[in-house]
Amino acid sequence: MILARIDGHAVTSIGHPSLKGRTIVLCTPIDETGASEGSPFAAIDTLGAGMHSRVFITTDGSWTQDTVHDNHSPIRNQVMGLVD
Amino acid sequence: MKPGRIIGTVTLAAGDPSFKGGRWVMISPMGSDELTRTNKNPVSEAFSLVAFDNLGAGLGDEVLYVEGAEAMQPFDRPIPLDAITVALLDTFKYTPPSKS
Repeated sequence: MILARIDGHAVTSIGHPSLKGRTIVLCTPIDETGASEGSPFAAIDTLGAGMHSRVFITTDGSWTQDTVHDNHSPIRNQVMGLVD
Repeated sequence: MKPGRIIGTVTLAAGDPSFKGGRWVMISPMGSDELTRTNKNPVSEAFSLVAFDNLGAGLGDEVLYVEGAEAMQPFDRPIPLDAITVALLDTFKYTPPSKS
């Protein structure tokens, strides 16, 4: 899992059907001190993580496919946990 | 899913039969400089890649693409593919905190 910080969001209307209605957040991987390390990526968010909040992102495609109920979904990144 | 910008298209003279009817675009990955628009140059320093596209992404469009095994997921036939566009971005906001 990736420790990341939510730094933005993205809006899309044309895309893979499994993305429909999903909140897409832009995350920056961070290290334990909170400093950015690595290039930003996008993930879908079902937990409603706020801006600049630290989260855990899973890269388990099959688990994400269960969440979006589409076993042809190309999404892999999903917000899994909000860090206190 | 990573953000990227379409900087060109690729036409295959010949390809794997499973690619029939496909369209290829050249993507320049967007890093934090491009997402915060500090680097206005459409092409970033990262290596560009060729990705399969069936969403109709045009030149200059900002897209989300996936690489690796996920790229084959949308297909129900075996296809030797490792990058595909999954979404055309209408808008995005990216504002990392200035201190980090």
